[in-house]
Amino acid sequence: MRVLVTGATTPLGLAIVDALLATADTELVLAIGRESNPPTPTASRLVYRSADLTHPRVLHDLLWGETRERAIDVVIHAMQHRASGHRGAGVHAQNVDVTRSLVLACEHHPTIRRFVYRSFSEVYALHHTTSNLIDEESPLDFTEYVPQWIRDRVEADVGVCAHLGGSPSIAVLRCAEILAPSSGSQLLDYLQSRVCLRPLGFDPMVNVLSVAFVLAARSTATGIFNIPGFDTLPLSSAIAICRRADIPVPGPMMSPLYALRRWVANFEFRYEINAQRFHFGGVLDGTRARTELGYVPHTAVSWPQPWWALLVERLRAERAADAS
Amino acid sequence: MATATFTRIVKQAPFYDEGHGFDVFGLHPPYLARAVEAGRLIYERYFRVDSTGIEHIPAAGPTIVVANHAGVLPVDAAMLCLDVLLNSDPPRIPRAVGEHFIPRLPLVNTLFARLGVVSGTRPNVRRLVERGELLALWPEGVSGPAKRFRDRYQLQTWHVGFAELALRHQATIVPAAIIGAEESWPLLAKLGIHVFGSPYVPIPMSPLPLPARYHIRYGEPIVIPAGDPDDPACVRAAASRVRVAVEQLIQDGLAERKGVFQ
Repeated sequence: MRVLVTGATTPLGLAIVDALLATADTELVLAIGRESNPPTPTASRLVYRSADLTHPRVLHDLLWGETRERAIDVVIHAMQHRASGHRGAGVHAQNVDVTRSLVLACEHHPTIRRFVYRSFSEVYALHHTTSNLIDEESPLDFTEYVPQWIRDRVEADVGVCAHLGGSPSIAVLRCAEILAPSSGSQLLDYLQSRVCLRPLGFDPMVNVLSVAFVLAARSTATGIFNIPGFDTLPLSSAIAICRRADIPVPGPMMSPLYALRRWVANFEFRYEINAQRFHFGGVLDGTRARTELGYVPHTAVSWPQPWWALLVERLRAERAADAS
Repeated sequence: MATATFTRIVKQAPFYDEGHGFDVFGLHPPYLARAVEAGRLIYERYFRVDSTGIEHIPAAGPTIVVANHAGVLPVDAAMLCLDVLLNSDPPRIPRAVGEHFIPRLPLVNTLFARLGVVSGTRPNVRRLVERGELLALWPEGVSGPAKRFRDRYQLQTWHVGFAELALRHQATIVPAAIIGAEESWPLLAKLGIHVFGSPYVPIPMSPLPLPARYHIRYGEPIVIPAGDPDDPACVRAAASRVRVAVEQLIQDGLAERKGVFQ
């Protein structure tokens, strides 16, 4: 297969490119990123192009120019704005408009037969009546005052789902949170703090993902697929694994305290984006992805650790190496 | 040193670990074992639970225990679950299916999740039945605990979702009757205040449940003939059959017991 990957300079994009290059049936990867420098992996089958897809002309020229010439048949769209604090028309264009234009263009494209869209578990509405186990039929979050971070993701997801059933065949992968630096992970930023505040009386189950997209690109299965991660555990256990102080505080105090932290220490974590998740949890049900794509989560997350814990582990490893 | 109860629940009972000692719904067997140790005194000494027919619970496979429901708080549900945890052979962990407002209750939601209670949504119960777990259901729902004292042992609104679930997944239904709970903690009044989404605030007749003796009776498993789970008439007929079986068990239990406290 010949694959175009958007968002190729993000940690997720790099992992997708790596995974694609590791498979024998990948003839070519056309990696697209905004940055002018190419991503780290280098291979003869990899071509990197710097392009700002928010400009319709650039997007058009890319698809009807190089993509057509190189006979690209699969598009993996993994580009999303990652900074939770940014908002406005530019962010919306990157999150929603590009996705919409891309899927529309793929409909009439002569070579593209497959479109894989990376969506997010955040698109699901979470409240007390929703299930602990979120399947693909669970309601999406159309709440009126939802932050743009979530609204954009819901809009883009619905925009792609509207084209399901036509050509090209589309797979929407609603992925659990990827706990990796520079990937826009809210939970990672939350766990970076020495003190983690948790809503008093609530300890929801959370699920986090490390990565996997090649299966969807190879498959012809059409539809929406939840992609859960390997690690499912209560929030308090995640905090304990990261060796942070876990302090339960009444729910209404969480938002102002984290707003203060953001203002003082310039962190990315926004409680208003995570409030429902921190109360009611919600774990993606990956049954459909397992049966139709053959996806089974198997890679455990590497949890963030404080510097002293890393130092102790390194010393222990050195001592064990010396002893052996 | 691990007690026999701890070994039963943590080592012997089937459990679907998601990798960190919890299942996807938040059940944590060591936590459950400690709770059973603590609740055992109440089970044995306070309510002096007398259990018959536990052998009707199958050793494995999807099973739904269906019982009557009453009391200010779900003490009867707790006693039924304790009974299964202490006496089922081989040991099985019952997954009590709770009301939708439970996840909104601070502390209670976490406590219940660790003990194996799940919110009764379709994907939740479907996953449990698919992996062959033992569900405990009270089809009266909120109308059970909300019943007046003069309506004791009369089944109220009978939800039929469990019958559809059993039909769809060929689950075995074990009817059960809990005798004693309906006199133990009668309801005096209901305040129409919806704290954390609860349907009402109960005002009990006594501050604590009275030490009425509990008799738990399990009936023979009901094998529902194959039918269309999407056919409302078929589902209603299956649910009615189970309701009749529970009513019969209640009548038999009431006839057999010598008094409320005996």
